[in-house]
Amino acid sequence: MDATSSAVTQSSDRELVITRIFDAPRSLVFKAWIKPEHLARWWGPRDFELVSCEVDARPGGSYRFHMRGPSGSDHWPQGVFREVAEPERLVMTWRWADAQGRPKDPETILTVTFEDLNGQTKLTLHHGGFESVNARDEHHNGWSSALDCLSEYLVDTSRR
Amino acid sequence: MVHHATSTERLNATFAALADPTRRAILARLAAGETSVSELAAPFKMSLPAVSKHLKVLERAGLIARGREAQWRPCRLAAGPLKDAAEWIEHYRQFWEQSFDRLDEYLRELQIKEKGNGRNK
Repeated sequence: MDATSSAVTQSSDRELVITRIFDAPRSLVFKAWIKPEHLARWWGPRDFELVSCEVDARPGGSYRFHMRGPSGSDHWPQGVFREVAEPERLVMTWRWADAQGRPKDPETILTVTFEDLNGQTKLTLHHGGFESVNARDEHHNGWSSALDCLSEYLVDTSRR
Repeated sequence: MVHHATSTERLNATFAALADPTRRAILARLAAGETSVSELAAPFKMSLPAVSKHLKVLERAGLIARGREAQWRPCRLAAGPLKDAAEWIEHYRQFWEQSFDRLDEYLRELQIKEKGNGRNK
């Protein structure tokens, strides 16, 4: 991945943290997150197509994406912006919905921060929240070593 | 789709159970093999009833299984729900990592174009 680097940590229960450095100025990386014409070019896993997207990027504004997977399956992530602090920080709710916009799973929280590194941009994404927001904030430590033991265990178990 | 709601509830129970550091430590200990309640309690400055309470939460979430022998009731790890939790994280990890790969390529393309066009918003 040449100039980019990426790191993943699971810092607590049901929370995913990913950091990535992009070789682009912060203002541009931020815009890539809120402008439909940009989003259409990168949003979603490889081979997924962004069929449509509506984005009202201001606090209280909503977004809704229509994604189509390589096998033709349709997906609709949607939510509401809680914070839009250009070019530093975005906070939004996130949940999967059906074609009519009816939620299919519990709401989660997406927090994206953009840090200027001399012209490059360090992006940090937190995906978490859930029912246990408070519990999560209290229990940031001690998770990774337990997770290590557990994943070793799971690998062993699935081999049996 | 009915299935979906139940698996979501199960996932919530798993994560709620995992939200406590003592319970995570208990699971980590059980990853090394099955053991008794008193052995589990030993590293924690905690009464046996307090540890039993944690074990009940873990048992309800399906994260551990307990033997039926009256005295000893050994605890052992149950892998199913943990696998679901790990899969949830893995699913989103892939989602974002792949999106970011595309974003990275797109940003490059965009900047090359901008340079070509001179000053351009």
